[in-house]
Amino acid sequence: MIITQDDITLFVEAIKSVSDYDFSEYSIKSFTRRIEKILVDYKTDLPLLTNRIRHDDKFLEQIVKDITVNTTELFRDPKVWQTIKYRILTRLNDQDKISIWHAGCSTGQEVYSMQILLNELGLLEKSDIFATDINVDVLDVARKGEYIYRFNVEYLENFDKVIKQNPFNESEFFEVPYEKYFDIDKSKDTIKVKPFLKQKPTFFKHDLVKDGDIFHIPFDMILCRNVLIYFNYELQNKIFELFYQYLKEEGSLILGIHESILGPKATKYTKKGLYYTKK
Amino acid sequence: MKYKYIIIGGSAGSFQAVTRILESLPKTFTMPIFLALHRLKHVRTGFVEALSIKSKLPIVEPVDKEHIKQGKIYLAPANYHMYIELGNYIALSTEEAVNHSRPSIDLSFYSAAFAFKEKLIGIILSGANKDGASGLKYVADAGGLTIVQNPDECQVRTMTTAAIKTARVDYIYTTDQIIEFLLKLPQ
Repeated sequence: MIITQDDITLFVEAIKSVSDYDFSEYSIKSFTRRIEKILVDYKTDLPLLTNRIRHDDKFLEQIVKDITVNTTELFRDPKVWQTIKYRILTRLNDQDKISIWHAGCSTGQEVYSMQILLNELGLLEKSDIFATDINVDVLDVARKGEYIYRFNVEYLENFDKVIKQNPFNESEFFEVPYEKYFDIDKSKDTIKVKPFLKQKPTFFKHDLVKDGDIFHIPFDMILCRNVLIYFNYELQNKIFELFYQYLKEEGSLILGIHESILGPKATKYTKKGLYYTKK
Repeated sequence: MKYKYIIIGGSAGSFQAVTRILESLPKTFTMPIFLALHRLKHVRTGFVEALSIKSKLPIVEPVDKEHIKQGKIYLAPANYHMYIELGNYIALSTEEAVNHSRPSIDLSFYSAAFAFKEKLIGIILSGANKDGASGLKYVADAGGLTIVQNPDECQVRTMTTAAIKTARVDYIYTTDQIIEFLLKLPQ
């Protein structure tokens, strides 16, 4: 069955009419792909799906989870993490407090990547860390901090690049064993983050589209990586404005490496290689 | 001047054909070209540079929502799917792999066929899986022109033979013939 843009509009309207979820400004191609996948997985068609979400709240919540994409990795794009370590966090060294928001944190691998960095730099104690996502199931995974080893093992290579090496000074090398931060059990195929890393971050549900400011503290750093690609250009601009309001002066915004502020909000930020700062 | 956009898909064994095609195109070649090429999972950087060495046209890994410009070559970034959206721009996504592939050739071809219809030329090169076959069918069904690299010339023929079986293919060409064809296109 071919789904037209009109079908999608009707579906999005149906969700809006029975909940406060609003997908009307999601990026159309990837959103349509998600719906096509859901129709295959549930062996249904769009009229039936639309009808069911109108009458079944629990089912609607499940579909919202299925719509969202949850891919994340430990230290994804090591260059970005090296930049955070040597270019951003070093500037925050003298502050009494450091506030960080992971917007769209998925299963939390990057939240723990940040915890590890902060700990290596001796900044963990004075950090406030919030991590949010629209999908409560991935937040449960994130809170547990337990992952399937074989899916994450290759990212330990990223750990080496970020934690053990200094790209800005090649003679430097830090011998940091994985066991400092992870319990790895190969027979059970699990990798768990150490309990002390789980004390800091506060995980909770937040929908970037509608929930607005719930923190009431300005942030030194906002990470929102490969989340905005699922929003259309107009909604992206709204979110860039939202982040602008949430950031401290000179605060840093870190996007995915193939995400960029293309619209009118670009003038409110300074691009510094792999990240942006608030003007 | 019927055709205005070109999309090329390839996997194992396609690198040589792609570089030869790109190095043959003159600076004055204005049609945007989209490249959906599989690559090794860990080779995330350096691919653009490798392709750029001999290309006279600029090659970029686009950012999300980047506008499509004439005379530019857009390479799907490693670990992202690349879509062409209505309104002449590119969108990226990190959804799960399709046919074990991200970027998925099929997804890029579907979206390009939908956006450009009969203005699109789709080309499938050497590769070791069936990704791209269904995408090329979409290009054909939407009125676009389809070309498949001659399987006899391919290092791995799975992708091209699957495309020939699945889609209406206008031309089965060697790399030289593909280049000759592209150079003859009115700009």
